[in-house]
Amino acid sequence: MSGGARVEVVGLSAAYGRTRVVESVRLTVEPGGWLAIIGPNGSGKSTLLRSILGFHPHGGQVRVDGVPTSGVPRRERARILAYAPQTPVLPEAVTTREYVTLGRTPHRPLLSAPRAVDRQVVADVMDRLGLGPLAERPLATLSGGEQQRAVLARALAQQPRVLLLDEPTAALDLGHAQQVLDLVDRLRRQDGLTVLSTLHDLTLAGQYADRLALLSEGRVVAEGRPADVLTPAALATHYGARAEVVAGPNGPTVMPVR
Amino acid sequence: MTTTAGGTRPQTEPVAPRWRHRPGLVLGGAGLALFAALLAGIWVGALPLPPGAVVVTLLDRLPGIHLSGGLGPTQEAVLLQLRMPRVVLASLVGAGLAISGASYQGVFRNPLADPYLLGAAAGAGLGATLVIAYSPVERVGPFGIVPLAAFVGALVGVGCALALGTAAGGSHSATLLLAGVAVAAFLAAGQTLVQQQNTDDLREVYGWLLGQLGRTQWSDVVLVLPYLVPACVVLLFCGRPLDVLAVGDDEATGLGVHPGRVRLLVILAASMATASAVAVSGLIGFVGLVVPHIARRFVGGSNARVLPVSLLIGGAFLVLADLVARVVLAPAELPIGVVTAFVGAPFFGGLLWFGARRR
Amino acid sequence: MPRTTRSQRLPLVALLLSLLLALTACGGSSSGSDKAASGSSSSSAFPVTVTGDNGELKIDAKPEHIVSMSASATEMLFAVDAGDQVKAVDSTSNYPKGVPTTDLSSFTPNAEAIAKYDPDLVVLSDDLNGIVDSLKALKVPTLLLGAAKTLDDSYAQIDTLGKATGHADKADDVVSDMQKRIKAAVDSVPADAKGLKVYHELDPTFYSAASSTFIGSIYSMFGLKNIADSAPDPAGGYPQLSAEYIVGQAPDLIVLADTKCCQQSAETLAQRPAFGTIPAVANGKVLAEDDDIASRWGPRVADFAASVAKTLKG
Repeated sequence: MSGGARVEVVGLSAAYGRTRVVESVRLTVEPGGWLAIIGPNGSGKSTLLRSILGFHPHGGQVRVDGVPTSGVPRRERARILAYAPQTPVLPEAVTTREYVTLGRTPHRPLLSAPRAVDRQVVADVMDRLGLGPLAERPLATLSGGEQQRAVLARALAQQPRVLLLDEPTAALDLGHAQQVLDLVDRLRRQDGLTVLSTLHDLTLAGQYADRLALLSEGRVVAEGRPADVLTPAALATHYGARAEVVAGPNGPTVMPVR
Repeated sequence: MTTTAGGTRPQTEPVAPRWRHRPGLVLGGAGLALFAALLAGIWVGALPLPPGAVVVTLLDRLPGIHLSGGLGPTQEAVLLQLRMPRVVLASLVGAGLAISGASYQGVFRNPLADPYLLGAAAGAGLGATLVIAYSPVERVGPFGIVPLAAFVGALVGVGCALALGTAAGGSHSATLLLAGVAVAAFLAAGQTLVQQQNTDDLREVYGWLLGQLGRTQWSDVVLVLPYLVPACVVLLFCGRPLDVLAVGDDEATGLGVHPGRVRLLVILAASMATASAVAVSGLIGFVGLVVPHIARRFVGGSNARVLPVSLLIGGAFLVLADLVARVVLAPAELPIGVVTAFVGAPFFGGLLWFGARRR
Repeated sequence: MPRTTRSQRLPLVALLLSLLLALTACGGSSSGSDKAASGSSSSSAFPVTVTGDNGELKIDAKPEHIVSMSASATEMLFAVDAGDQVKAVDSTSNYPKGVPTTDLSSFTPNAEAIAKYDPDLVVLSDDLNGIVDSLKALKVPTLLLGAAKTLDDSYAQIDTLGKATGHADKADDVVSDMQKRIKAAVDSVPADAKGLKVYHELDPTFYSAASSTFIGSIYSMFGLKNIADSAPDPAGGYPQLSAEYIVGQAPDLIVLADTKCCQQSAETLAQRPAFGTIPAVANGKVLAEDDDIASRWGPRVADFAASVAKTLKG
């Protein structure tokens, strides 16, 4: 692990057909930092993430450590950027171990079998995520939280420098959500990963991320430290929500008001 | 079912059978099954042949070995000219159809896909029907006209589906599937029309459609090898890429793979294998659909394992089906497509039933 | 609605009556003209009643507009010298040379198309598409002479057609000629030919004809054993065999009835895998017969018997 990379997004725009969904987004994430992208439903968060990864055609540029990703071949890119989607497609009748091993694809020729180093990395990653006892179980038999961890494990098996997570806590209850975010934070600090995630839970976003970017109608309307971005005014304007923001021990806490 | 504080949980998690952890064992077992099927196919037939003499005669054919099996000239001719090519071709065709079916199921992420999905069957059927009805010649050079037309027809069918699918909306699997359905329906309608206009040829057409290995010669084996074998080899290598494709186009791209290219390669190779199989044996159904499911019961869902195991089991399956076809109504033969359907459908039903109950 | 008054009804009735009269007059006049034309020598043979598979048919006068929908019936009609009376034959009828072949289909017969020829006798071999009933509704005299099962059936049909067309004497001659020729053929074959095995091939997918069929009965007359008989399911007399079975049975005589449809010959036979070991192929006892002769039950069956005899004698 060579430590996190610096990610810069410059003037990124993306559209679905004629509708522009993301408009001139500019972001920077420092190596080893955690940027959480927040915003109301339909603000374009997922599209932004997918565009950064190159899944969606877009205008503008994405640079990793100063190098534009568009010029980088796919396999190379897969060794730098890892993606854990919100609703992953879980293949049928595949064991957890086989699924996590898919993460090693960018590191070996496509046609060859997993080698010893691949098996080692997979075993390592699964241990860290507590998936050891579930290794030989079919993926479909895992609970929601366990599956989320498996997806994370697959992303980590890629040994990336940047981890992009799309709503990693979407289907999880509070306890499991905290578990996953703690894990990501720990890994970030241990491996020096750069993390870019979308989060809908504002308090969790404020507690775990270094910086927040508020996306509204495709544009970045606020960017900075959590306390600076999460303000009642911002919530009222962009979410149409009534809330108070209280400073907590780990970051601002958003308290909805009836 | 035991209850815990959090609610009910299944008492035991389903335990994967022990052989799922030993794919090598399954592969070996499948190879053995194929070998046994080949032996059975050579030993059994309308003309009884002593098994020992059969083995000796075959060994004698190996370079450097000179043994006398004691078979008369008629018996030897039946063994070497009729049974051997037939059994060999059955195993090749079965293997080709099975691995194509497994590949299509992998590419479309659909367990009901079969090798005829993208219009290969409809195209081959139309080609064969046109030629049976209208062609004045029986052979073109070394090729029989019906196999040639079927081969070309199958490839044209797939080509049309691919063209239509990519024109309609990129290489997404759902679009391709729909394009395949449309092309198949159109070509099948054309075939029905030609059949209607030429009712005298109906028996020959149906005989071909239902699958037949009854007139297999060594020349058919030679004809099919240069297309079938390379296609199957390519497909064997596509197991791992298909596993990556199984997580969806986006995630596969994120893992450094070109899903569109992999899909195209797999479809082309599988279509080539299907077209060559169909050219020499007609439309044999169920093999491409059922055999991959059998393979999955033994090695799980990873395509890297399912494809090679399907290849071997498919060969064994069709050799045994051909055996049944030859023996059940001897000396007449059942069309092999009927046997695979009669055997395959209940088998498939049983797999689903017991699989569901276990869960 | 106003009721028609008596004065309006009368013209209506008159119209209907006259239409009715006109129709019956038409019907009556055509039969009348037939009567007038039939003044030839065999007018004493009519009216005659003949029996076909569809029952009895009373023929009032010598038919001059015969339509034959059966290739075998066509051959029989021309053999009994009724050729001049035949106006149209179906698309499969091609013997003797010069028959008035049309594109009438015997597989999908169309009553209207047949009626176009204004027939006074239609001969069929199959009742497909309800053709017999349709022709009955059109009041066309129809004779259904189905496929013969035995030689005697064939003779009976020739007699029937002879009577129906006013050539009963000629029909008798034809029948006795056939009987003489077939007997001569059977007698000409050496005694050791009895018990030889024969394979009759209908098409290259190994459909054969067993002894219970018409053509199979010819082989029985020669005392030949038909390998299709031991097929466990003769399927109405036309079982499908397999290559292995045929080679294993080692027939001494092979008769190919698929020379025209499927281009089979003694050469293609020899090229089939393992067929070279069959005695019939090795000894050249292969009869490549015209498909038509082998599948019809007309007078040419005598030719067929002669060919079989010739091949057996080598």
